[in-house]
Amino acid sequence: MSALGRLKSWEGLLLALLVIIVAVNIEHSPYYLGVGNIVNLFQLSIEKIIVALIMTLVIINGEIDLSVASVMGLAACVLAWLFEMGTPMPLAIVGGLLAGLAAGLFNGFWVAYVGLPSLAVTLAGLIGYRGIARILVEDHPIGNFPEWFNLVGQQPLIGPVTVSIVIFALLFVIIAITLHSSALGRLVYVIGNNLQAARYSGIRVRLVKMTLFGASGTIAALAGILYAARLGSVRGDMAAGFELDIITIVLLGGVSIFGGSGNLAGVGLSILVILNLRNGMGLASITGNTQTSVIGALLILSVLVPNMAQTISNKWNGRET
Amino acid sequence: MTESETAHAAGAASVRRAEDGRASVPVLEMRNIAKRFDATQALEDVSLTLYPGEIHALLGENGAGKSTLIKIMTGVHQPDRGEILLAGKPVTIRNAAESQRLGIAAIYQEPLLFPDLNVAENIFISHQDRGQVVGWREMFRDAEAILAKLGVALDVRSTARGLTLAAQQSVEIAKAISLNVKVLIMDEPTASLSAHEVAQLFKLVRDLSDQGVAILFVSHRMEEVFDIADKVTVFRDGQLISTRPRSEATPQNSITDMVGREMGLLQPRPPTPQGDLLLSVRGLGKEGVFEDVSFDLHRGEVLGFGGLIGAGRTDIGLALFGIEPATAGTIVLNGTEVTIRSPGESMGLGIAYVSEDRRQLGLSMPMSISANITLPTLRRYLNRFGLIRTAMERATAEAFRERLSIRTASVDLPVAKLSGGNQQKVMLSKWLNTKPSVLILDEPTRGIDVGAKAEVHTMIGELAAEGIGIILISSDLPEVLTMSDRLLVMREGRQMAIFDREDANQESVMTAAMGQEAASEGGVAA
Repeated sequence: MSALGRLKSWEGLLLALLVIIVAVNIEHSPYYLGVGNIVNLFQLSIEKIIVALIMTLVIINGEIDLSVASVMGLAACVLAWLFEMGTPMPLAIVGGLLAGLAAGLFNGFWVAYVGLPSLAVTLAGLIGYRGIARILVEDHPIGNFPEWFNLVGQQPLIGPVTVSIVIFALLFVIIAITLHSSALGRLVYVIGNNLQAARYSGIRVRLVKMTLFGASGTIAALAGILYAARLGSVRGDMAAGFELDIITIVLLGGVSIFGGSGNLAGVGLSILVILNLRNGMGLASITGNTQTSVIGALLILSVLVPNMAQTISNKWNGRET
Repeated sequence: MTESETAHAAGAASVRRAEDGRASVPVLEMRNIAKRFDATQALEDVSLTLYPGEIHALLGENGAGKSTLIKIMTGVHQPDRGEILLAGKPVTIRNAAESQRLGIAAIYQEPLLFPDLNVAENIFISHQDRGQVVGWREMFRDAEAILAKLGVALDVRSTARGLTLAAQQSVEIAKAISLNVKVLIMDEPTASLSAHEVAQLFKLVRDLSDQGVAILFVSHRMEEVFDIADKVTVFRDGQLISTRPRSEATPQNSITDMVGREMGLLQPRPPTPQGDLLLSVRGLGKEGVFEDVSFDLHRGEVLGFGGLIGAGRTDIGLALFGIEPATAGTIVLNGTEVTIRSPGESMGLGIAYVSEDRRQLGLSMPMSISANITLPTLRRYLNRFGLIRTAMERATAEAFRERLSIRTASVDLPVAKLSGGNQQKVMLSKWLNTKPSVLILDEPTRGIDVGAKAEVHTMIGELAAEGIGIILISSDLPEVLTMSDRLLVMREGRQMAIFDREDANQESVMTAAMGQEAASEGGVAA
């Protein structure tokens, strides 16, 4: 079967899973459908799901960015450090975003121009950027940010919906359009499934990769700053380990770890599945560790099921595509 | 070495063998072997016999069936029909390990050694069933003994990584000897070696033959074949055309056998009036790949690039397209000297290159036909927000579907769903859509069926008639002969000749491609 057919069936599976999870949650908890719970469900993971959007593009392009959580921490720490030195908050925010952009472009340079594997480059970034963050904001948390900054992270903007959720929604639309309707999106897919064919078609592969890594760094920085606003304080180890949750969301969404296939609808469904699953298990007083194990099992299934389906359909058709 | 000396040496060797009486029983007999891959009959009723101590050369164009035969001997492929006899007994060779056990070994152009293991380990890599613990001292001693027998001086403790290609070939041969080889297949073993290294290798080969090993020697270098072989067998289109003893074989009758193909239904393309000078290349070269290539291309002209695979023709195409830019020479396009450093620059100058490798370098298989066609020209299909105008894109794809009769239910289908011929048409559409003035076609009909091939040929004629200058790289000799107005022949990175239409025929082209002087100087009439 074609990759397209497989993806569609994968999204169907995710949708079915989502319906079951929601049904079970409604059955078990009277609080589940409350507006407060729904907003809370998004709000608690909002930074991760923002980064998952850009990670989708990076992985479809055939690369990976393991440094995103460290870039989140770095941007927040640059912001806090600038703020503590007396920089006005808006400028400190710009500083944090620029740090993220620089970190992303640095990753991109080694991948696109030197040709190193992104797994290794961004693993180094994961360690290195975290190191810089810790140097900037040693062990004591920095807080006492202006009132308006904290409100960005916590205050509802439209009804009960917070600024972060609005940003997520906007980014979702922008990235969906970019991936599925723009020239850049087309190139992301082509490079992901056949880099050489892209090169032989005169496409500037390096430029596309630089753009994606730059965007990944910048959006991770934005997420880190939103995280700082929500928590009201910044520490050197903030957002540590988030990268694995982020990549889990993307892969569960049906994006191939080898690049070239996947779409944002799948990632959107994957976000809903994971958030509702965690929320439901939370409401049912299932511990965090058990929650993590369940998500892990889901991820293994997400890799296993499409591969098995491929193998079976190949045998069925008696040919390879 | 002159030809008569060689002939004398070879003759003496065969006489000696005949006196020993060893030559009487064949070591390996292939009887009526046939093998088919999809639409291609790779081998048809081939019977080949190898005697102990014989050096048997195998000649043929690319795709003549030599590799398939070797792969059957080494257990990579199974024959559809026919039988294999080893020392008179029928055998089945199911895989490479079995072939090794039977005493058949093969060495190739690029030695397949483990670079981080030492020489002795590489020699004995297939002896891992000797016990649990490596007896280093014993292994080094045995390795030295084998190398001494071969007369090769190598440190058995050094890793394979640092060895020259020739030394690596020696290790491959030592590896074969350690397996008590009876039949040694050498598939273009000299292609990467210098003249001095070739001489060393040949000394080794002769020693092996004196020890009774049968050697099947595949090479595209005529002078080497006639230097070393006792017998010469020629393949063409999956059939064994002739087997001659060295004394009766000549470069001329071998080449005649290689190319003596029916031209079939291919009609020569009617010559088109030649337009203005379009592209002028002088002294083009790329370090270590090809050198000193010079030619002119006019509007409406088809310039064929003939020669064997690996002769450097594709590399010239890649240089002109900016994938692997040239390091020497000048390119003048429409009277202006240009430098081409990237595919983007080349496309901007109106050059298009249709790759020989559809799957790896040409198409994005899971993507739609229309997305593939518009890929190099995507900028034209964007609205002012930078989004793709899919209706316009589809219209382009539909136009090409009509023009090239691409057979598909919809242009939205992934190209992976199409047959090879239709994929090739998508490739052509993709590049025609860039409206090129110079179109480089690299093996445009490889692996596609006869009908699609004829359509591609018609298309090439139409494009030339429209005034596009076409460079046609093709290993299909009848194709390149019928389609080209002029024909440039390459051999091992060097330009051998440019033939005008009336001087180009199968023999003159193959003679140049094999590095022989013009056939008339050879002595034996074809």
